[in-house]
Amino acid sequence: MTKLTTTRRGFLASSVALGALGTLPGLGGAGAFAQTGSVLRLRLDGDNDVLDPGYMTGGTEIEAQKQCLPFLAEYSREGGSFGWKPTYFVETLVQRDPTHIDFTLAEGLTWSGGYGPVTAADVKFSYERMKESDWSGYFEAMERVDVTGERSGTIVLSKPFAPFVMITLCHGPGAILSEKAVTEAGGRFTTRFPAVCGPYTYETIPGQRAVFTANPDWTGPKPAFDRIEANVITEVKAAELAFEAGELDCTEVSADTLARYRADMPAGAEITVAGELQYMWMGMNTAHPKLQDVRVRRAIQHAVDVESILIGAYSGTTTKSNGIICPGLLGQREATKFYDYDPDEARALLAEAGASGLSLTLRTLNTQERLLAAQIIQANLGAVGIAVTVLPLDSGPFWEMGQESKGDTWKDLELWLMRFGTTPDPYEATSWFVSSQVGKWNWERWTSEEYDRLYEEGIAETDPDTRRAIYLRMQDIMEETGAYVWINHEPEAFVHTTAIDVVAAPSGELNYRRFGKA
Amino acid sequence: MLVYLTKRLGLSAAVVAAVVLVLFSLLHLIPGDPATIALGPRATPEAIARYAEKMHLDEPIWVQFAIYVGNAVQGDLGLDVFSDRAVSAVIAERIGFTLALVVTAMGWAMLLGIPLGCLAAVRPNSWSDRIAGVLSVGTIAIPSFLVSIWALLVFAVELRWLPAIGAGEPGDPIDQLAHLVLPAFAVGLSWVGYLARMVRASMLEVMNEPFVRSARAFGLAPGTVVFGYALRVAILPTITLIGMGFGGLISSTVFAEIIFARPGLGKLIFDAVMARNFPVVQGAVLVATGLYVVVVLLSDILVAWLDPRVRESL
Repeated sequence: MTKLTTTRRGFLASSVALGALGTLPGLGGAGAFAQTGSVLRLRLDGDNDVLDPGYMTGGTEIEAQKQCLPFLAEYSREGGSFGWKPTYFVETLVQRDPTHIDFTLAEGLTWSGGYGPVTAADVKFSYERMKESDWSGYFEAMERVDVTGERSGTIVLSKPFAPFVMITLCHGPGAILSEKAVTEAGGRFTTRFPAVCGPYTYETIPGQRAVFTANPDWTGPKPAFDRIEANVITEVKAAELAFEAGELDCTEVSADTLARYRADMPAGAEITVAGELQYMWMGMNTAHPKLQDVRVRRAIQHAVDVESILIGAYSGTTTKSNGIICPGLLGQREATKFYDYDPDEARALLAEAGASGLSLTLRTLNTQERLLAAQIIQANLGAVGIAVTVLPLDSGPFWEMGQESKGDTWKDLELWLMRFGTTPDPYEATSWFVSSQVGKWNWERWTSEEYDRLYEEGIAETDPDTRRAIYLRMQDIMEETGAYVWINHEPEAFVHTTAIDVVAAPSGELNYRRFGKA
Repeated sequence: MLVYLTKRLGLSAAVVAAVVLVLFSLLHLIPGDPATIALGPRATPEAIARYAEKMHLDEPIWVQFAIYVGNAVQGDLGLDVFSDRAVSAVIAERIGFTLALVVTAMGWAMLLGIPLGCLAAVRPNSWSDRIAGVLSVGTIAIPSFLVSIWALLVFAVELRWLPAIGAGEPGDPIDQLAHLVLPAFAVGLSWVGYLARMVRASMLEVMNEPFVRSARAFGLAPGTVVFGYALRVAILPTITLIGMGFGGLISSTVFAEIIFARPGLGKLIFDAVMARNFPVVQGAVLVATGLYVVVVLLSDILVAWLDPRVRESL
């Protein structure tokens, strides 16, 4: 029998040898990672932690739900406008009247794992369950679902709610689950669907990728790709490089890269813009002693050169904003009504208000684009005699500063740069500025009985022309307060190979099952 | 040796305890309501209340600390805010990728750095010494994130010789090794310089020792003198440096893992910070600190084992 012994000399020699072994990678070569054929390679910006529609964070989980779960409706796009249409999971989906939506599920849809056919009872279970979930707000207007047959039923709203199909049924919260499978799973789930019914099955390797494989039980239209590999790449810049290295077929791009690509598009690549459902503005606290005079606020509106911000901070990649309703949505304004860039008018208004030597603080999140925008505003306002101090903040204190429940900072707020995201319907964007939001999200702190009334009317109104008029008037009211300088709508833009057609929700979630081969 | 071990273990435990205290304090000093920060500004009151209860935020701070420490010593690092999974399980999935990266990076740094240091020391102030010096300082001076980006641009984007992102196909070691090349190069490069400088300095001392002169006088080949006699003694301080280097490399992996989209402890910490997933931040930093302390401890023990004089110095 041989006895293994360790000597100090032997140990030192082994250490060096082991170190050398560590340098042996490099054997694989490029061929190992380049996959072709019916595989689509995409980017996820993080792991999907909770796939359950009731408890998700609301990002890429929705992309997974769209591939693996039935929905009654999906987004459509005609020209620059967003709308909806029934999915191939339904035979009919009809809004019978303002509070009743009838549906009949398509025949032959079955859940994986032997959970049987997709039924109207599953729809009832899924939607009524959402009323108790973290995403209950989306189902606030829904009273119940009536089952009228194995595959048919009626969604009953408690009050007319025009955006219901668009913002609830088309969006992640509108996913349908198998009652039996979810119940067996304990009522909730995280990283594994209890049962799927869609073109793809789902698997995840935490920290690395989510893999969607063609579902052998799927009886609906065959998707263009047999397999989707969604790689977890946190940083958008890393994803852009991976695209340029040929390892991704599609990825979101940042504003500066979008500008670079538009000037010099990589070979075999093109850009698809999913939507621009973000609105950014500079807000003013109408209750602050320095800003109570509407002439001062109007002067500030006239003094800011928004075009310079779009070029200087966003490389010309974003759309100029004229209000809170985003491009493609009912009620988007074509122009501002009460101000334009006019420094002379700003000086005149300041003189009229007797506001000489005014100094203000502009608070912003400490991101590159916002800081650049803040500095341009600082220069603009300096040119008309207003000294501005830029105060960059981390997200913690930033998001609390206008909320009365979080301290007294709201009393000191003067100017701030703010960006909200929204759904593809005008109702949500307008919801943050009603009187009851003062001290919560209406940091400008104005109130208007007319605005509050129009908000309720807009939710209930189903005639598009009347709704458009309502939302245009609401934005007029906002602008007339002098408390807003509209800045931009940032796009959700994707670069992809010309070999594929990209389909994405207006808010940027990709829908792989609707992708095509060009 | 036993006394040395006891003292050294006590010191290591004290370092870990201090890190736990500082980390816990720092995370609780961040301005803003932790629940709002973690769940985002639009979180529902119900979700915020649930989070506060889960994280014991309604308890006094010292009670929160006692609960955290009590759980941590039992291996319970809490729950991921978003997935509700055990933080220890999340870390266990990732730590292997970071260790593979660190070991590979340090391995090739040793393979290049040690001979480079020897080359410089054999003929001090010669051209070879000067070139080695320039290479050493140059590799130390270039930040690893820049090396990562350049390596990615040249070898993945332009030449397409090596993969740019990920850790390779599970179950395919060749593919996984290919995915290690660029990040290991980026992470290990600066340590080529550190090791070369350290080996050079040690070798210069050793090369004038009587036993080296004797070896030369007996007519042994220069290679045998350098690698067979001098390096064995000169490498002792290098072992300590390598131990500390592992700790430094764990922090360097943050950049490499982000840029190369590799799963690992560094990327986990980065993602958790960005998402304000504080239990994961606390757990992952604690484990990274523990790793650092263990590696330094092991290297110190090895040096003490190899050189009895060190045991008396603590």
